[in-house]
Amino acid sequence: MLRKYFWVFGLLGLTVTGGSAAEITIAKGTGRATFDASPFGISDAVGKTFVTVLENDLARSGWLSRGGAGAADFIITGQAVGRGEGAVVDIRVAARGGSRPLWSKVYREPVSSIRRIAHEAADAILFATTGKKGMATARLAMVGTGTGHKEIYLCDADGGGLVQLTNHRNITLAPEWSPDGRAIFYTSFFKGFPALYRVLLPGGQLTRISNFAGLNTGGAVSPDGRQIALILSKDGNPELYIMNLADGALARLTRSPGANEASPCWSPDGRQIAYVSDQVNRQPRIYVINRSGGQGQRVTRSGSQNVAPNWGPHGQLTYATLTGGRFQIYVLDPATGEERQISSGNVDFEDPCWAPDGRHIACTRTENYRSQVVLLDTMGDPYIVLTDGKGDWTSPNWTK
Amino acid sequence: MKSAVMLKSVLLLVLAISVVSTGCKKKPKANGGAGFDEMGNVIGQDMGDGGLYGYGDAMNPDGMAAAASQFETLYFDYDSSIVSPSERGKLDAIVEFLRANPQSSLVVEGHCDERGSNEYNLALGERRAQSVRAYLLGMGVEPGRVTTKSYGEENPAALGHDEGAWRLNRRAQFSLY
Repeated sequence: MLRKYFWVFGLLGLTVTGGSAAEITIAKGTGRATFDASPFGISDAVGKTFVTVLENDLARSGWLSRGGAGAADFIITGQAVGRGEGAVVDIRVAARGGSRPLWSKVYREPVSSIRRIAHEAADAILFATTGKKGMATARLAMVGTGTGHKEIYLCDADGGGLVQLTNHRNITLAPEWSPDGRAIFYTSFFKGFPALYRVLLPGGQLTRISNFAGLNTGGAVSPDGRQIALILSKDGNPELYIMNLADGALARLTRSPGANEASPCWSPDGRQIAYVSDQVNRQPRIYVINRSGGQGQRVTRSGSQNVAPNWGPHGQLTYATLTGGRFQIYVLDPATGEERQISSGNVDFEDPCWAPDGRHIACTRTENYRSQVVLLDTMGDPYIVLTDGKGDWTSPNWTK
Repeated sequence: MKSAVMLKSVLLLVLAISVVSTGCKKKPKANGGAGFDEMGNVIGQDMGDGGLYGYGDAMNPDGMAAAASQFETLYFDYDSSIVSPSERGKLDAIVEFLRANPQSSLVVEGHCDERGSNEYNLALGERRAQSVRAYLLGMGVEPGRVTTKSYGEENPAALGHDEGAWRLNRRAQFSLY
């Protein structure tokens, strides 16, 4: 029974809405540790998919690059084969010349899970060889317009496994994963007024979380999963609130008559919330406030606007800054107050979200009014396009 | 079209899976493949005034913008939610109508141009709608008869990417219910 369930669900991961894992040109990793997967045995399409996904994941991590046969630092051996509906993957990685594997595993799972197995193996190999946390097993939620409406979609960290989550045929915005990856919160107008919803995964049970008069948006779940920060305008102009998910009890955090608040996000320790406010000179800036209340403190100054903050696993904030007429992605180190520009070019980069590896940032890249979701590297590698170019893709949000 | 069919089957599959995974304890109601439109319990609190702050689909399933308004659209300056003196005259007709039709209520929709972040613009659109509402209340309209709704930059009236379009998109529209 359990086995069958997994097999059926696995199909979802392979049901791709017309597109696929983007045309990724990976030119990463010069001067980094190298891997060689050419000894890995491939005899069928299952094996080929496995190795392709695995190699791309390892290179995308930025910590490893493909090395020549015989010269690479780490050698990946084993084999992956499909037998009917089942796949068997036997994989290990060892240092060149090393006798014992640094990591090994045997997977026996449905063929439909082959991409997920490759993602898992990639993160395990990355950790075993470099000690770095990867992002290959993470997933993205984002907004797509391919149907003619803004709907929420999900995909893997490489842009593959794309599925449409909502089908409200209305305006649906700002997806945000719960910390445990088992729910997504978003704002939708499908019942007329903008309300905040939660959909459970798998299964899709939908609950309306907040439906006060006026705005109900920006929902961001606390790291302990118990509260949600959100923007409401029920008491006047848009303000920042915290709601208990268990009983709906509300606490209001900001009181800024005449100003707008937007886009809350939690610090990794759950003790603070960053948000946008235009309380000074009507310029949107990033502020930080304690979850218990008090006064918000402004933390950004770059450019003429700072919007859409997102707090990374290592405590650094990323956000979009309007500078030179374009939005660019910035990173703030709260310890030093230093603001660093990550993206560049005569295009707009918006809606940044840290990947769980703490190194990469997914964001929207808009050129000539067409938007794609791309992966930026805070260590300088070129960005990678994750979406397929059919319609516009915006507002990426990673699993934690 | 083909992918739409595929999506529909994916969605049905998800519903089917949830039946399997919960051991059929709780059957999700399939809704003609229309996605996850089934509502679970609501833990947020409504404002109490079910009619006024209720769900727009009871009034107009396609959103208020679809309804041709009998009232003039009101425009705003860039990044401003102030009802400018030159636009106030448009609100007189609304006040007059509401006085003459005491059973009518009004939705004020606030909209923005495409510049700025989507979430910030949702807040700005709400403030635009609220400053119109405040003006109407100042003219004696009962608070319970005017509600606000922000579309941010999500529902532009003009599709261009220049000031010609932007000035038409920084607006408040009105509908009755």
